[in-house]
Amino acid sequence: MNYIPVTENDKRNMLRHIGVNSINDLLIELKPRIADSGGLGLSNPMSELELLEHMKRLSEKNNLMKYFIGAGAYNHYVPAAVNHLLMRGEFLTGYTPYQAEMSQGTLQAMYEFQSFICLLTGMDVANASMYDGSSALAEAVLLSSSYNGRNGVFVNNGLNPQYVEVLKTYCEGADLEIVNEINEKTTCVIGQNPDFYGNLENLEYLSDRAHKVGALFITCVVEPTSLAIVQPPGYYGADIVVGEGQSFGIPINFGGPYLGFLGVKDFLLKKIPGRIAGMTADSKGRKGFVMTFQAREQHIRRERATSNITTNVELMAIASTIYLSLMGRTGLKNVAKLCYSRAHLLQEKLAKMDFKVLNDKPFYNEFLVRAPSGSSENVLSHLLKEGILGGLHLDHDNILICCTEMNSLQDIESYASIINERMLLK
Amino acid sequence: MGSLEGTKFTKEHEWITISSEGLAMIGISDFAQEQLGDIVSVELPKVGSKFRQMQPMAIVDSVKASSDIYSPLSGEVVQVNDELSEHPEWINESPYELGWIIKIKPSNMEELDDLMTAGQYSEFVGEMGK
Amino acid sequence: MKLIFEYEESITGHLPDSSDDDSHSLGDLPRELIRKELPLPNVSEIDVIRHYSNMSRKNFGVDIGFYPLGSCTMKYNPKINEDIAKLEGFMQLHPLSHQSCIQGSLQLMWELGEYFKKITGMDAFSLQPAAGSQSELLGVMIAKAYFKEKKEKRTKIIIPDSAHGTNPATAAMCKFETITVKSDSRGNMDIDEFKELLEEDIALVMLTNPNTLGLFEEKVLEISDLAHRNGSLMYCDGANMNALLGITRPADQGFDLIHLNLHKTFSTPHGGGGPGAGALGVKTHLSDFLPLPRVVNDGKNLALDYDRRKSVGMTRYCYGNFGMLVRAYAYIRSWGNELRKISEHAILNANYLCSLLKEDFELPYDRRCAHEFVLSSRKLGQKSALNIAKRIMDYGFHPPTIYFPLIVPEALMIEPTETESKETLDEFATALRKIAKELKENPDFVKGAPYTRSVERLDEVIAARRPNLRWNAHTGLEEEDGKKMPGINEREDRRQK
Repeated sequence: MNYIPVTENDKRNMLRHIGVNSINDLLIELKPRIADSGGLGLSNPMSELELLEHMKRLSEKNNLMKYFIGAGAYNHYVPAAVNHLLMRGEFLTGYTPYQAEMSQGTLQAMYEFQSFICLLTGMDVANASMYDGSSALAEAVLLSSSYNGRNGVFVNNGLNPQYVEVLKTYCEGADLEIVNEINEKTTCVIGQNPDFYGNLENLEYLSDRAHKVGALFITCVVEPTSLAIVQPPGYYGADIVVGEGQSFGIPINFGGPYLGFLGVKDFLLKKIPGRIAGMTADSKGRKGFVMTFQAREQHIRRERATSNITTNVELMAIASTIYLSLMGRTGLKNVAKLCYSRAHLLQEKLAKMDFKVLNDKPFYNEFLVRAPSGSSENVLSHLLKEGILGGLHLDHDNILICCTEMNSLQDIESYASIINERMLLK
Repeated sequence: MGSLEGTKFTKEHEWITISSEGLAMIGISDFAQEQLGDIVSVELPKVGSKFRQMQPMAIVDSVKASSDIYSPLSGEVVQVNDELSEHPEWINESPYELGWIIKIKPSNMEELDDLMTAGQYSEFVGEMGK
Repeated sequence: MKLIFEYEESITGHLPDSSDDDSHSLGDLPRELIRKELPLPNVSEIDVIRHYSNMSRKNFGVDIGFYPLGSCTMKYNPKINEDIAKLEGFMQLHPLSHQSCIQGSLQLMWELGEYFKKITGMDAFSLQPAAGSQSELLGVMIAKAYFKEKKEKRTKIIIPDSAHGTNPATAAMCKFETITVKSDSRGNMDIDEFKELLEEDIALVMLTNPNTLGLFEEKVLEISDLAHRNGSLMYCDGANMNALLGITRPADQGFDLIHLNLHKTFSTPHGGGGPGAGALGVKTHLSDFLPLPRVVNDGKNLALDYDRRKSVGMTRYCYGNFGMLVRAYAYIRSWGNELRKISEHAILNANYLCSLLKEDFELPYDRRCAHEFVLSSRKLGQKSALNIAKRIMDYGFHPPTIYFPLIVPEALMIEPTETESKETLDEFATALRKIAKELKENPDFVKGAPYTRSVERLDEVIAARRPNLRWNAHTGLEEEDGKKMPGINEREDRRQK
């Protein structure tokens, strides 16, 4: 397949105009050259048809299951309209809106996304997205350290373990330290809500502890559909809210691309990393949008920038903006209620079968159980045979289970009865 | 624009004038504001912070650029022009008066000899255009 | 122009109603946890469709017209790759699925890594980074870990003055100091100044090759040699890989690390600013530091290996922007061993377009360009690059990159890519030459451009001085307490006085 429109004839004319005999003459400067290695050892080109066949076969080597798992990636329903809009060439194939007059669509979408994040989290201002929840958290920590000049990072229990790993990696690079105490060397205190085990909590006590020593309080929201029914972090004193927006209209896609978001209170505006769209007027007084505060960003601040971030994940931000618009207040609450009730239904059934439920707090759509002694492995492999990914196997025979609106009452019934059968057989 | 006699300039386009009380007022030159374009914000140092000569002490942001402001003399910050957060445009419109940025208490007046006079700065800027 | 928040209340449902679910209501939650108000709009689906469709029409994309943004490689994004990325087996796969269920995706990642190794000459790749800048960050972290292990105290990174802003910003994120080397009269990094600055505490030399001027670093072999003798590592910012496919391999130029931008060279769509995907390649001596997990292949099965003691850790959740990896993979498979044609034609198109424009504009360096070139419009006056950029919109083209690299005054960085026809290049050159003429004959007209977009020139200064960054009930540019921020015209007047 060949997307090169220039013909042999064109090529001859172009070379003549440039004043050379062949393309090789243009390559003179690009030494050293590899010996003409016959195409880098790659295979023959493929036509569109052949490519499609090949990719289908490859994709069929994967096995899709019924998902009862979350742990950072959530299987939600994406209304059909999201994709249809997203595939419009004007959204899909444009670049960063450096030239505002050419990109009013993207810029307005950024502004609306920023607004949605603020409305959901209770923050004053948000950027136009970051790579994913974990790196957004890392960037929030860098922001915090740049703000108060301190190096200690306190992480409350219950942060997604992968997020902890990412934080460690970034901190190592930036000479920051993850600590066990909150004191005047602490730059920020981090809490996830709902946490990795699904627990919901009013984190005001953490916020107070942070502020008492002059540290910032960061809340991390990995399952943001929870924000439809749970008090937002702005309510309990968060200075920064970060999180993962994948639940808002983005497919699970084997882990990416996802959607990080970051919102802050007003006083941190000048430190916020990433792109921000702002509303303004043109020379005729018409409302329009531009990227603003670019002087914070790497292409201007260079080594004085808080962050090196260049791309955001604009298309994903647009996807979630469209999702939130389509679902609306009513639809989003509905999603959250379905998630909540399905999870609690399954949890109840499992509790009746001697599964110990380990959440000591109210939970949203994820919960932790311990299978009857020694049997987690068995339970999960049996479910797997029936095409069900029953949860995430953790230490001590624990299983982290998630339900969303995609888990029908039927699915939950099947899950429970397969386990039941299995246990009766013993 | 009042008379610039007695005002001294740095190679980085800051100006500094010494008051009768021995305090120094600092800002950026007309040339600098012209180069930067419309100023949108200023990041000011905390009162009480100390700087060595030519150490960056503040940042001035325009739409397209971000510029460090270097301290023309060593000293301690005694006052900053907080109103610039509401009126960053004063730096463009009145760089030597309303748009003053920082006041310091210099610790070594001899450092003034390292700086250029208004006339020398004028020449310096003229040279830059070439 | 309406915001989505300004529609009248209406709704379309997409899911079964939760109140039909007999079981558990939120009443079980403690009151203090329950949200009192959710201030989101309810809009019907038809209005959402119209809202975003109309918004998109105010945009420009590669699908709409020529988009010669230098350094961004705005090439055509094959539509078949969109369909492939949406194959259920790829798109609906949970990353934490059992290993036996993910062999297809692991195979894709494995093979893609192998292709990148062949293309660049590197020994190992990580597909984890979400973008070029995140790849750089990873690269710098790896360099830091490498020297820590060797117990060598190296705190500085050398970059040329033509470098992209991410390079020094990345260095700063890892607490490295940046040392900048000037460019010489041929646009190369000045080798003499480089030699002077190459001290014992230099950890890394970061080069883009071809550089941001679109020129090949002629002394790259010498630079690599010197750097290695100094014990420093060589990092290649692979943003300009579109010039090198099948022609030369960065490993052969002496680089120890390279990152690739899949949304540039490998055709994944830009999406209005992302998502992108990066890939970081390293030579053997650095491969132990690559992030977790690594994809391993024992010949029969593929697996995710977390057992690498020296790894720098993880830079993100899970494995990478898989959706973009699929597209890049498909792109490479479709070209196969004819990949070199891409770069040959990218270089042909750039040189041709340059030859059409160099008379009317200034070419700062008298050299053959690679896949992009930089012109200066300073003969046409101050801010001419800006005005040209705004005016070219009226001709139906996206402007080139302006005011970068910083070392060229009134810079216009133009990268046509290989997916443009000769006809398009001719039309673009004609338009630019017309605008040059307009600037001489009727400058004020050009300064007021653009005229044919949904808005005219937007006031970026007010946007920054009076930030309005989100919707709330009292949005608008009207000022409180009667004070009004001076607008564009007023500021001009005041300046004139």
